[in-house]
Amino acid sequence: MNMHTQPQRTPAETALIDAFGERLSLLPGDGAVMLKRDDAIEAVKHGLPTRRVESWHYTDLRRLLNSIPDFDPAAMARAIAPVIDGSAVLPVLNGKSEAKMPAVQGVTFQRLSEKLTDGSIAPGLDPYGSDDAIGALNTAFVADGYFVDIADGTELEKPIELQNLQAGGQTHVRLPVRVGAGAKAVIVERQAGEGAALVSSVSQLVLGEGAEVTWLIVQEQPATATHLAQFKAHIGKNAKLALFIMNAGGKLVRQEVMVKTTGEGADFKLRGINLLAGDTHTDVTMVLDHAVPHTTSTEVIRNVVTGKARGVFQGRINVHQYAQKTNAKMACNTLLLSDDGEFSTKPELEIFADDVVCGHGATVTEIDHDHLFYLMARGVDEKSARGLLVKAFVAEVIEELDDEAIVEALEARLDEWFLTHG
Amino acid sequence: MPAVQETIDRVRKIDVDQYKYGFETEIAVDKAPKGLSEDIIRFISAKKDEPSWMLEWRLEAYRRWLTLDEPTWARVDYPKIDFQDIYYYAAPKSTPGPTSLSDVDPELLKVYEKLGIPLKEQEILAGVQKTDASELEEVSDNVYKSGRVAVDAVFDSVSVVTTFKKELAQAGVIFCSISEAIREHPELVQKYLGSVVPTSDNFYATLNSAVFTDGSFVFVPKGVRCPMELSTYFRMNEKNTGQFERTLIIAEEGAYVSYLEGCTAPQRDENQLHAAVVELVALDDAEIKYSTVQNWYPGDAEGKGGIYNFVTKRGDCRGDRSKISWTQVETGSAITWKYPSCILRGDDSQGEFYSIAVSNGYQQVDSGTKMIHLGKNTSSRIISKGIAAGFSQNTYRGQVSAHRKATNARNFTNCDSLLIGDQCGAHTVPYMEAKNSTAQFEHEATTSKISEDQKFYVMQRGISEEEAIALIVNGFVKDVIQQLPMEFAVEAQKLIGISLEGSVG
Repeated sequence: MNMHTQPQRTPAETALIDAFGERLSLLPGDGAVMLKRDDAIEAVKHGLPTRRVESWHYTDLRRLLNSIPDFDPAAMARAIAPVIDGSAVLPVLNGKSEAKMPAVQGVTFQRLSEKLTDGSIAPGLDPYGSDDAIGALNTAFVADGYFVDIADGTELEKPIELQNLQAGGQTHVRLPVRVGAGAKAVIVERQAGEGAALVSSVSQLVLGEGAEVTWLIVQEQPATATHLAQFKAHIGKNAKLALFIMNAGGKLVRQEVMVKTTGEGADFKLRGINLLAGDTHTDVTMVLDHAVPHTTSTEVIRNVVTGKARGVFQGRINVHQYAQKTNAKMACNTLLLSDDGEFSTKPELEIFADDVVCGHGATVTEIDHDHLFYLMARGVDEKSARGLLVKAFVAEVIEELDDEAIVEALEARLDEWFLTHG
Repeated sequence: MPAVQETIDRVRKIDVDQYKYGFETEIAVDKAPKGLSEDIIRFISAKKDEPSWMLEWRLEAYRRWLTLDEPTWARVDYPKIDFQDIYYYAAPKSTPGPTSLSDVDPELLKVYEKLGIPLKEQEILAGVQKTDASELEEVSDNVYKSGRVAVDAVFDSVSVVTTFKKELAQAGVIFCSISEAIREHPELVQKYLGSVVPTSDNFYATLNSAVFTDGSFVFVPKGVRCPMELSTYFRMNEKNTGQFERTLIIAEEGAYVSYLEGCTAPQRDENQLHAAVVELVALDDAEIKYSTVQNWYPGDAEGKGGIYNFVTKRGDCRGDRSKISWTQVETGSAITWKYPSCILRGDDSQGEFYSIAVSNGYQQVDSGTKMIHLGKNTSSRIISKGIAAGFSQNTYRGQVSAHRKATNARNFTNCDSLLIGDQCGAHTVPYMEAKNSTAQFEHEATTSKISEDQKFYVMQRGISEEEAIALIVNGFVKDVIQQLPMEFAVEAQKLIGISLEGSVG
């Protein structure tokens, strides 16, 4: 009695399916990898997610993704200076890794194309569910990236910067990183470029017992790029992960964060700032699984919305039945500075254990008039006063990172954004 | 930890069969054949003596319903409902609108006695249509002393009696069953019915529009403050019937009305469907306060039986400075799917939602609210308290949105969950959408169990553990209980006690 017709394919869906047909012979991978690619493109054939798919409620990918650039073999991206001076830089230029890699003691680097060819990466290529459009898209097309292995007990003095740089066309990159027991590292994931590109990027991090990692995602795509990214992590026993995300560019951006605590005593900290200008649509979606007892997490997301920008934050904390003594807190604060901008947020708690402390808070507001008055009463003009307050609102989150070099480097990126958009 | 263990053990042992209102009454009934078709709708419409526009309205809804799918987005899990295996109309055979006590089926009176509707009320119940005004006044006087509440009693598919009608009429208030309103005040019904929840709104609301059998109608004219609390008591009695009631409340400019609904059903192994629609319309400066104490049969300790409660409730703050306030205490039903909402259309209008949802056994609650800010300077407030015990799932799902022109929209949301036992789940799914820079939204949610510290603090003062937990739980829900009319606050507090019996004493 009901009509269930397969809707007609959008031009973007058709373009992706056609591109897969054309690219297939050029993509690296053994039999297992190629099977995963086939499965993944099947998922794309079923259609990109619409707002009816709950996890895409505010980002109707089917409607928003309206053109797909062709692969551009001539595109030339250039490596850029790292965010933090002295970092070991591993650039992926237009979807291709470099054969020459820096030498860092205790760290093994490998081009991902090799791991695709020998099939050793195959088990990690499965999308996590039927609504994992980014995972499916990436698995279908991924051609390169880096695999990073940090040996047990290695304490890195300098950060590693993984750069994913594009100059138009399409790039599909994967960055798996394993951090051994007791190792310590700062890893920067740089996403930037200058073309009207379609970028998909999946980072996979596994933290061994007692490992401590600070991972910074700095996304500064041009206002023409579609950036679909995923960050997945498993945090082992007593391991600590601090993830910082800065979104300061892109036309259509979706950054997914899928984190699971897999060992007791694991700790996750997420700090994010979304600086939204122009007519960007930027979506940060987090799913955090507290799967074992005695794990902790805090998430703070700050958003600044200007122009006609649309921002989304979805954060779901799942506390599994056996994950007693979980302590999880999440906050999402938004400054909505223009009448044409909009921000939607959906902070979810899914709790199956009783002995837990979980909370979330969310606010959307404009600049506090009292604060503005306070500054203006001291002779600061309105524009500067507003600028100061907005900057303080996001800088607060950066300062929490508690590492001078990192804080300075990120504040420099922040200043740059305010220079062009402030 | 032993105290926690004890609580968990007790929760496990909870006998959900403690449901007090689970009795069944043998009453001669008039039923439509089982199943749903255009003929059944014509049958219902004819039984109710409805004008032809009403029948057309129903049929249109039915045709629309045939094209719809059941919604699946809620966190509730149940076997597929066979909509052809339900009786859509069942009515007690006694003549509606009895003119004397002896005309009211004594069995019916007994039912209401058992349900604890005050004895004085019953005198009124029986004597409602007596023409002797002095006698009525005398009775009302007695009732007045114990707090006056006008009651519309709905038994299965029909409204059996409405009390205090005369007195209300003197004040200009119309309070009657919706069937009666369709016959007597068609212009009002036609103007407002479906104007808040259109027939095409959602699967269950559309079904309701097609087959609704009764419900209450309230009209409070301009400038009138309704002289007493109004209340509807829903009772589902007949086997395999669905109850589809429709309530329409209109408060004209400057009017005020406070309304309460209560519901119970017999204990049965099969699930029964309840799909109601409630529409509220508040014009300029009007205020409607709508309170629900929902205590449908929740199913037994194994999760067998119980009511499927799929309800669409929506209030439209149509006028400037109007206010709609929803208060709900949800303790019953196997499945609750209910989102009383406010559309804040008028400038400076206000919406409020206060909710306590207690789930135990295998109950599944997916409830919350929507606050849609459209007018300028609108404000809304949401306080939701969920308490999950046993094997139950308790979800808060809410949406707050400010549209482009809703300057200075203001919302505060607080939803807290309390978990008792480790087999249950508590979930919070709030949606916040701001499209206006002057909007100010705040949302906070917490989930926790009763902390040992709190318990210790109370017990240290010589209070037993059970009482300590009861105190803490009552403190947890206080914000909401305070919003209920006084008479019902007591009832609600008791209900919470019964629902958690064994875990909070």
